[in-house]
Amino acid sequence: MSTKGTHIPDRLKIPFAGITPAPSQEKGQDLFPTGNWRAIRPVYRDKLPPCNNACGTNEKIQGYLDLVKRGKYLDAYALIKEDMPFPSVTGRVCYHPCEQACNRGKYDEAISIRAVERFLGDLGQALKHDVVKPGKPNGKKVAVVGSGPAGHSAAYQLARLGYKVTVLEKSPKAGGLNRGGIPDWVLPQDVLDREIERLVELGITIKTNVEVGKDVTWDDLKKNYDAVVLAVGLTEPNSVRAEGENKEGVHYGLPFLRDIGMGTSKVKVGARVAVIGGGNTAIDCAREALRQGAVEVTMITVEANPQEMPAVSEDLHDMLEEGVELMHGRAVTAVLGNGKVEALQLHPARFSGAINASPITVDREAQAERFHVDNVIIAVGQRASIKWLPDEFKTERGTIKIDKFGRLGDTNFFAAGDIVQLGSGQPLMVVNAVGDGKRVAFNLDKVMRGEFLQPRTIPVDVIFDLNRMNMTYFPHFPRVHQDLLPPASRKKTQDEVIQAFTEEQAVEEAGRCFSCGTCNACDNCYLVCPEPCIARPERSNGMYKILVDYCKGCRVCIEECPTGCLEGVPELDFDTGVVRMDTAFAISPGLHGRQAEELRNLGDRAAKNI
Amino acid sequence: MQTVTAAKKRTVRINGCVASAQAAKYADVDVIAAYPIRPYTATMMALAQMVANGELDAEYIVADSEHSQLSIAHGAASAGARVFTGSSGVGVQFAYELYSPISGSRMPVQMMIADRTLDPPGDFGSEHTDALSTRDMGWIMGWSCDAQEAFDNHLIAYRIGEDPRVLLPQMVCQDGFFVSHITGDVELPDSGQVKEFLPPYKHPYPLDPRHPVSHGPQIMPEQGPPLQLERARAMEESMAVIEEVHDEFAKIFGRRYDPWVDEFMTDDAEVVFFLQGAHAVTARFAIQHMRDRGLKVGMVRLRTIRPYPTDRVKEVLSKFKVVGVIETNMGLGSVSSGGVLYAEAAAALYESDKRPLVFSFMAGMGGEAIVLKEFYWMTEKMLEVQKRGKIEKRTHWVGFEE
Repeated sequence: MSTKGTHIPDRLKIPFAGITPAPSQEKGQDLFPTGNWRAIRPVYRDKLPPCNNACGTNEKIQGYLDLVKRGKYLDAYALIKEDMPFPSVTGRVCYHPCEQACNRGKYDEAISIRAVERFLGDLGQALKHDVVKPGKPNGKKVAVVGSGPAGHSAAYQLARLGYKVTVLEKSPKAGGLNRGGIPDWVLPQDVLDREIERLVELGITIKTNVEVGKDVTWDDLKKNYDAVVLAVGLTEPNSVRAEGENKEGVHYGLPFLRDIGMGTSKVKVGARVAVIGGGNTAIDCAREALRQGAVEVTMITVEANPQEMPAVSEDLHDMLEEGVELMHGRAVTAVLGNGKVEALQLHPARFSGAINASPITVDREAQAERFHVDNVIIAVGQRASIKWLPDEFKTERGTIKIDKFGRLGDTNFFAAGDIVQLGSGQPLMVVNAVGDGKRVAFNLDKVMRGEFLQPRTIPVDVIFDLNRMNMTYFPHFPRVHQDLLPPASRKKTQDEVIQAFTEEQAVEEAGRCFSCGTCNACDNCYLVCPEPCIARPERSNGMYKILVDYCKGCRVCIEECPTGCLEGVPELDFDTGVVRMDTAFAISPGLHGRQAEELRNLGDRAAKNI
Repeated sequence: MQTVTAAKKRTVRINGCVASAQAAKYADVDVIAAYPIRPYTATMMALAQMVANGELDAEYIVADSEHSQLSIAHGAASAGARVFTGSSGVGVQFAYELYSPISGSRMPVQMMIADRTLDPPGDFGSEHTDALSTRDMGWIMGWSCDAQEAFDNHLIAYRIGEDPRVLLPQMVCQDGFFVSHITGDVELPDSGQVKEFLPPYKHPYPLDPRHPVSHGPQIMPEQGPPLQLERARAMEESMAVIEEVHDEFAKIFGRRYDPWVDEFMTDDAEVVFFLQGAHAVTARFAIQHMRDRGLKVGMVRLRTIRPYPTDRVKEVLSKFKVVGVIETNMGLGSVSSGGVLYAEAAAALYESDKRPLVFSFMAGMGGEAIVLKEFYWMTEKMLEVQKRGKIEKRTHWVGFEE
């Protein structure tokens, strides 16, 4: 009897034929920790979704789309508010680099992120009390000069951090570019008003009709506040440097829009209007001119074709739909007329180089054209007005000189928005100014708390390659499009052209999101694991756990992860949760010695005993 | 569970296949996993009729292959059913994957084998290689030599395999054609006797949604040895149970079998045949004839090969001068360059003080019958060896030598 006298040690005592409670039962997996078979360990590593990466203020776009998908609108709103003070505004005006970056765009059509953002922003507008609360007061006072996107964002974040914030605005109404640079039919005034109210609700003091350099000085700011954020924007319109530009009937883009926005405009446009410029402000001006009674509006650009124009393509499309004509490759060399503009003298021109402040080549040898107009609106960018700033902080471009943290030298002054971004290559867009304001607010806070400012060193992994996800899980599905007012009726009204998503539309559109590289609690890993090696205390993002005592590293969960957030990491990269055998087997010679210290002595001991 | 239709003891003339089917009916099996392959098919045909006629209340599942057939059997036994299945020849081989898992999970599945030679040749004759190739998979295994013994062995095997001390599957083997298709008188018992002998099957940890358990979980390598040790222990300790059960069977049914070896005319025998299965029937006839001529020849028929009755084989075969193993199986390149029975018999005798001379005969290969004159020829060979005191060679190919 070979089995006679055999004895199974207690630690290896096993139930009859290894029959154990079911894995789903308590202690169902205690018996057989098979994790030592594993060479690869699945690890949940959220990547940065390309939309979040592209967003000027790095909104957690994937996160709030996921929440919208699940009907958790308020949570989604709270999440967007971490990075964006006014989703109701950007939900209307943003040039949405997120949608350009959206991986879904390579597959069928990008997610209509802006429309969902607007859905959330409007939901926030309707709340009696905002979900955002001011931080615990830290006793420090900060002035924010300017209430445009950058200033608004900085003030908002600083209030959340506990600062006593005062916003100084030179205009009679707060809002800056949001107020004066964007027409009503894109961003209704009351939407912006509500967002300004939200700032006041956070305990922020807004002082209007206060102009730095006139009503307060640099030294006043230095004396009265612990720190200052300069977000004064670009207030002075650029000239086209044409002869006779000062004639009656010549207007500049931003003041033209601003006065209409503020209700102080005295402009009456004639039948034929020319808009000079090819950017978004020029488009807004052209479309506004139609609404102000112009019959024929022509946009004259130095760019040779629509593709070269630094404009959002949908806005360009909507403008053309409304009947604005385009005239490309020309520069205005003179404004003709007897005191009042009657015509423009045009010469062939060419635009080359980057979006901002790049040279224009005008061929003055060529035959000049004469273009009859009643009014001209010049919208070729803006420049700063910072005479009050100490010279040491001025750049050659006429902007504020800052370090990479937005700080002016060793002072407690910081600057954000277009006033520092002009010429940096970053598009001068609302969302970028918001992001700038946010980052500067955080840096300011660190300086106030005596922390060392450090650039971010963690490498960012963004999924750009669809192969890193499992596309089998994503059926093709068309984008939900926002309704538009019919072009014919737009000219008679200041009503919003682009219509809001309904709840159903928002949920449907959010449901198209791939959640690129990010766990969205889809349960797939939990379901496909051939054994219950994935624990799910509750169904929620980031709540899955790999039971390393049992996971054999079969990679099924990794291969089947729809979003690509699960990664296989070589087991030898870990020093915890490892079950190792006391054998001589190892991936490379000597490795077993590292795994089990005592193995190295075994040979010596045996040799001694011989 | 509906029991077998009450029946009084009676004798019927049936072949081995039908005897096996009758045994399954008397055992009141719950699940039958069928897939056809000759010659065992007749058993499943008979069972199908019984189920269709309402004689037997069982799930009759036709699988899509032998592999599925054994998987069904495994699953059904795991759920607590008494299972009957079977196969022949290459069918036995196709299901090979399942043999170790079934015994490893300690499921007393019963499989009827009507031997068929493995290809080549593609014929239906008996050769034991099909079942013997699975002999180390943890199944209790033995051969019968006629229809009555086949019937009895099925009931005995269920009782052994389902004993809580054992819980192992069983292969109840009979020679294709020589048993499966030859008719003989079979005494069918009173159903009350069977009820007394074979209590209902009860696995201690059946699969049951109300009490979920895991069968066959993945384990740590170091947890493998204890499981194997337990399975080995069950096989060894089944020997005592096998003996008990044969006693019990004799008491209830009146037929006494030696559980391990069936000796025929061995009292004063000097040379003996050592074999298993149907050819024992011809051997008996031949031996009687030679006894009449004064030759001291006998026969030892192995009835149970797993667990191997090592001590009993050693004890019995040590009584003789010469042992001629009739293989009826292929062990290509084996110890004797013949079959597989020689090596185990020789190993059993190794520790004996009085070792007989042992060699083997390759006979009945490819399903060919072993005819009387071949038994005489083999006897002559054994007597020559006895006289010479030395074997000529370990294996003789019968019919191909002078």
